[in-house]
Amino acid sequence: MSGRARARARGMALSPSAAEVGRVQASPLPLSVALSDSEASSSSDHVGTSRISQKCEGGLSSGDAGCTFKERVGKIRREMMDLSVCTREKLAHVRDCKRGSSGIPVKLVTNLFNLDLPQDWQLYQYHVTYSPDIESRRLRIALLYSHTELSNKAKAFDGVILFLSQKLDEKVVELSSETRRGETVKMTVTLTRELPASSPVCMQVFSIIFKKILKKLSMYQIGRNFYKPSEPVEIPQHKLSLWPGFAISVSHFESKLLFGADVSYKILRNETVLEFMTDLRHKTGMSCFTQTCEKQLIGLIVITRYNNKTYRIDDIDWSVKPTHTFQKRDGTEITYVDYYKQQYDITLSDLNQPVLVSLLKSKRNDDAEVRMAHLIPELCFLTGLPGEARSDFRLMKAVAEETRLSPLGRQQRLARLADDIQRNKDARFELETWGLHFGCQMSVTGRVVPSENIIIQDHICQPVSAADWSKDMRTCKILSAQSLNKWLVICSNRAERVTESFLNCLRRVGRPIGFNVNHPKIIKVQENPAAFLHAIQKYVDPEVQLVMCILPSNQNSYYDSIKKYLLSDCPVPSQCVLAQTLNKQGMLMSIATKIALQMTCKLGGELWAVEIPLKSLMVVGIDVCKDAFNQGMVVVGFVASINPRITRWFSRCMLQRTTADVADCLKVFMTGALNRWYTHNQGLPGRIIVYRDGVGDGQLRTLIEYEVPQLLSSVTEASSNTSPKLSVIVVRKRCMPRFLMETGRTLQNPPLGTIVDSGATRPEWYDFYLISRVACRGTLNPTYYNVIYDDNGLKPDHMQRLTFKLCHLYYNWPGLISVPAPCQYAHKLTFLVAQSTHKEPSLELANSLFYL
Amino acid sequence: MAENNIECNSVVDGNVEEVPNKKIIKFNPPLYKQRYQFVKKLVEQHQPKKVADLGCGDACLLMILKYQKCIEELVGVDINEERLKWNGSRLSPCMGDHLDPRELDLVITLYHGSVLEKDCRLLGFDLVACIELIEHFDSEDLAKFPEVVFGYMSPAMIVISTPNSDYNSLFPSAVFRDSDHKFEWSRMQFQTWALDVANHYSYSVEFTGVGEPPAGAEDVGCCTQIGVFRKIAKATESAVLEHHGKHVYEVIYTTSYPSLQQMDYCRRVVTYLVYREVNRMKRRYQVSLRQHELEPESADNGNPTRKFISDPPVPVLTEADKAMEMIPQPFCIGDKFYVPLERIIAYPRLGHICGNVEKLREFLADVVELNCDGSAVKVDLHDCGDY
Repeated sequence: MSGRARARARGMALSPSAAEVGRVQASPLPLSVALSDSEASSSSDHVGTSRISQKCEGGLSSGDAGCTFKERVGKIRREMMDLSVCTREKLAHVRDCKRGSSGIPVKLVTNLFNLDLPQDWQLYQYHVTYSPDIESRRLRIALLYSHTELSNKAKAFDGVILFLSQKLDEKVVELSSETRRGETVKMTVTLTRELPASSPVCMQVFSIIFKKILKKLSMYQIGRNFYKPSEPVEIPQHKLSLWPGFAISVSHFESKLLFGADVSYKILRNETVLEFMTDLRHKTGMSCFTQTCEKQLIGLIVITRYNNKTYRIDDIDWSVKPTHTFQKRDGTEITYVDYYKQQYDITLSDLNQPVLVSLLKSKRNDDAEVRMAHLIPELCFLTGLPGEARSDFRLMKAVAEETRLSPLGRQQRLARLADDIQRNKDARFELETWGLHFGCQMSVTGRVVPSENIIIQDHICQPVSAADWSKDMRTCKILSAQSLNKWLVICSNRAERVTESFLNCLRRVGRPIGFNVNHPKIIKVQENPAAFLHAIQKYVDPEVQLVMCILPSNQNSYYDSIKKYLLSDCPVPSQCVLAQTLNKQGMLMSIATKIALQMTCKLGGELWAVEIPLKSLMVVGIDVCKDAFNQGMVVVGFVASINPRITRWFSRCMLQRTTADVADCLKVFMTGALNRWYTHNQGLPGRIIVYRDGVGDGQLRTLIEYEVPQLLSSVTEASSNTSPKLSVIVVRKRCMPRFLMETGRTLQNPPLGTIVDSGATRPEWYDFYLISRVACRGTLNPTYYNVIYDDNGLKPDHMQRLTFKLCHLYYNWPGLISVPAPCQYAHKLTFLVAQSTHKEPSLELANSLFYL
Repeated sequence: MAENNIECNSVVDGNVEEVPNKKIIKFNPPLYKQRYQFVKKLVEQHQPKKVADLGCGDACLLMILKYQKCIEELVGVDINEERLKWNGSRLSPCMGDHLDPRELDLVITLYHGSVLEKDCRLLGFDLVACIELIEHFDSEDLAKFPEVVFGYMSPAMIVISTPNSDYNSLFPSAVFRDSDHKFEWSRMQFQTWALDVANHYSYSVEFTGVGEPPAGAEDVGCCTQIGVFRKIAKATESAVLEHHGKHVYEVIYTTSYPSLQQMDYCRRVVTYLVYREVNRMKRRYQVSLRQHELEPESADNGNPTRKFISDPPVPVLTEADKAMEMIPQPFCIGDKFYVPLERIIAYPRLGHICGNVEKLREFLADVVELNCDGSAVKVDLHDCGDY
């Protein structure tokens, strides 16, 4: 980076987008700038710490078994919190058995491994106090660990809480040690708890044991996962390295303790942040360099050259250079250049680079002090991909090709991990001292439920493949469609010809499926977003049924401004098509078919149905996602069926700030949906099943305490006598277990409609896995369903089959999808609002699938 | 049981001076750090390849030395097995070492054992550090020590530090600085012992120290006294012994760093550097094309092989870039962009790693597309692969 750029950069006010900084600066608390390296930031007041500080601060949670227990045990991991929410015991009809019965049994291999413990295994938790008190955690650990009383025992100690797998002879044990200074220190070790192996605390101890083991296998922890940098997959043309690794977990499934591992890759950029900046500057020129740079870098995670820590870039300080000094904890001033030379023998090459700012999370949960770390771009490597790279399809394709694993490849990776754990001497020793035995891979029996028939206007069709029945219904009449009489097409002058041929095509494909398309009014405009919007504002009147825009480019500004106007300000269904899509010769018919179907839905049409044995059932999908622009805002989407056939939908969406607001808003939506149902069906639905997507780790309790009661109150208020029965099911697309089917010598993804409701499920929940998707390449992820509330009392088998049926009803795709259709609708709706419009869509559109 | 539970040579006693009861003598930086700095400076000066720390304790000195680029083998020996076990993982390569490997190999090993026992894996070292070690020996052990370290290991250089008891007069209490110290020597005692040992094993010795005495008490000398021993005669027999000696120590921890001496890491680094340079040149070329578009009369459309214009409009030419003008230039045929290997090897870092074009070609084989005669790297001109 040249001095010129710097001068320009400095002259520029920091963009307000650096909201993080604003917040920090506003904080009344003193800021101490700590260098990324712990040596500089640790205090050296007490015996022992000064030399070992690197370790203590290093966050090496398992470098030594006891290192960071306090934080971990003090703050139970979020998914562990979910496990303490026992919902099944309240559901009388599944207390004894939650398994379904229909379908053909199929044997499946899981990615879970048995972890055997002796029957009477217990974990003993002790509290340790020191007299006189010693602050240094390391010294505390050193004093305790050196006792013969404790040596050769499996132990984990964070300086306060000690875990042992063997009980000490006495409940309270007094030990005394002498420091090297000759000071006698008394240690009192008091038994506080005896924990059964099923306790969540034990799960965390097991997790820490496995972290230690994976480190022994030369893996590095980044976030929660472990990666092996010594065996990278290289994509040099994109400057990327992919580190293979695993996400691991230890948890109780049904009756067993199981170790789960899933293959994961960490994307690393093989360039320093400085190189990235230099590149960017060449590309953008200097005028908007700093803003672009901040936009691309802030929020990314970096790895430093010299220690094993990762930092989030929260800001870039353009005014600080490596030649500036900072204050070490001991009060001395040193320049960044000298510091890195002295500490790590690293010579900085660019003395004009700015520094990256990272806000350090306080380890002890008290936000007494916000600390910042200054990082030198030259010494930081980027992990992950910036947003811009994600839209580079060549790059994403290259990444996907390298990371996609066939079922067999995945199994081989797992087998190797298991083998490594079993063969490594240190790993085995670690497991043995705790009394753990790493067993074999677990198999479960799943069931493949029968495939569903698709009901179209004049007949029932049994698709050749449930994954894609577009061919089966190419010439079939759809259930219902409004004819399109008055509509607008807006295109640029350049796109006039393709638009004409496309419209011809549209009419041709519309007729056989029962969708009549009249001639639209075509408006030609200049190629800029304002011209498009202006034309819409000018020509749209209340009689216009639909506006189609042929966009010249996929610049967000076209799409966002058009959608925002036609969704909220002047509610009219709209269809945006990229001009370049229409240029694809030979594809035009299929493109037109797809668009015709979408337009039908946007006008309130129905495409197909499946057989729903329950009469008077309303299904609801809820999704929640973060707004892309407004921090702290979440977009809540709610989509409910309003006819018994489940082909018509009522869709609402709102922006909210807190979880309580989300629950309140769901009540309003539910009441609205029930009213809508009432007007269409002259009565209330008998049953309501809500599929709730977008649930984060640790939110289960909130759902049960806030959302379910709000939904219930809406339902009970709706009728004075018999109110509809309600079920709430949490839907998760990401879950640890994976299932593979053995066929002969090889492994395959399980077939569509595979249900697993034993073995890999949780004893405290009414849950099951469903595979409702195919993958031509790669490995399938099952979708996980957890019924957290159930008044309907359907048999588990019926609940599972119903869920499978609902995966057939997403009108944007003639085939099965991975979640029930209402969830996917809600997702599509929230995504549109969160990414493009940031505004609540008008209620007038709620009766159609305007967001497809 | 009650004593000796923190067997640490210098952490604790290094701080004793900082916290006395009455008179506070505070070193800045702390004395233990000064001792490590002293060793680090020795390493910087003499660039040893193999370094051992006897009585390495928490491996803190090794932590400092592992960043030294000249060192290829680093060994720590200590009698306390538990401590070595805890601290081993601190020495493992960090993630950055995989992304940006060292130039030279580095192997770090921690041995559990007594420095009074001979282990042939400690032969042939360039520097052996015994920081705050000898004062923990009783007279019997002290007598054995020179024979093992000077006589058997016989490294090119030995550095020994020990408390200077002359300095103790400045401390309020009259006891040893550490309860495990068997003795604390005056400068006279240490130097007598050291000279005697040096003479016996053909070493020269220089005396120095860290922890300057306060003003007015200069005559007590430095708080820590240090002897730096250097071998006079070149030993030839050690190399022979290496293969026949015994392995007495137990390996507690060992790790090997990624480096450019390893083929796969080297190839990876070279590939990335090549891509980076090629992309940089391509971008400049594209910028120059855009400028030509603005002034169409200057564009040489008839000639398919256009000369690369190395003047980048945005960055100012560096000295290195100017030097490169002399070397074969990148060129363009159709929509392919070519950079001659000779041009790539002129980039100093690549030149340094690869040495010559043949070697570079070997590295790039199967990884990067070359033109038909293998003299230039070939990429798509309009690939928007970088973002």
